[in-house]
Amino acid sequence: MVDFGDEFQFQPDVSMETVRTFVKAARMDFWRFTDHERARKDGGLPGAIVPGIMSQGILAAAIHRFVPGGTLRRIDTIFRAPVIVGSSPLAKCVVTHVDEDEGVAEFDLTLENEAGETRVLGTAVVSLPPTDERGDE
Amino acid sequence: MAVMDVDKLKARFVGREFDTSEFVVKHEDALTFARCCGETDSRYSDPEHPDYQAPPTFLARFVGRRTMPEEFPADEFRGAFDGGKLVVAHAPVPVGETLIAASQIADVFRKTGRSGAMTFIVHRMEFRDRAGTLISTVDWKLIQKEGA
Repeated sequence: MVDFGDEFQFQPDVSMETVRTFVKAARMDFWRFTDHERARKDGGLPGAIVPGIMSQGILAAAIHRFVPGGTLRRIDTIFRAPVIVGSSPLAKCVVTHVDEDEGVAEFDLTLENEAGETRVLGTAVVSLPPTDERGDE
Repeated sequence: MAVMDVDKLKARFVGREFDTSEFVVKHEDALTFARCCGETDSRYSDPEHPDYQAPPTFLARFVGRRTMPEEFPADEFRGAFDGGKLVVAHAPVPVGETLIAASQIADVFRKTGRSGAMTFIVHRMEFRDRAGTLISTVDWKLIQKEGA
């Protein structure tokens, strides 16, 4: 069971190998995601960047790790700044509201870079698993 | 883009369906998507799980045959960037099935921040199965900085 203020974090794998595998599966195999040099030269970017939908998927995965058996109902993400491929970001969730009667919790989400700067932020609403599946009652 | 243009865009395009496309939720793609995102919930990462399904954000990867209405002034949004995605999961995303997505412009609005004025276009896709059950709503925020 999660309580207001509870936090969770994990370090996702955004290595070039993983991003290249992801973009093939997502059918978005573009150089801005897979080629540092070209992303700098032609895209004006600091390097190849992690696709926004991968960042969103990482934050959804963070929720599922935090609340095993929980069901994501809504996730709203803002791509504030690029997440660089090959960097070491941290996905963080914090519980901002719990409605035990409805079995729902709300979360703030962030994906931060090594300097602790927020690159992606968002919110999520999750249906909590039934009490007998939480293993904490 | 002038404020009046935003109002005109809103009046002309918001809420009107302009594309319907079909997508197959392929098993390998859904599984790879889940694993690359670090998904450990076996509902999404283990095809043997009785409730196996695609991750709830998987449908955000699809775009329709048209991304904007035919008469939309796309040239004015050539420098637009992806500002974010909202996914509302109404039902599990079935793997191996064909989903039908209807696209519309859900909103057009303007905001002024420290970096100046920006126009937001909210592009919405509603995914349904063949029985018509709403599976997911995906909103994509496109942002155009004015003067860019």
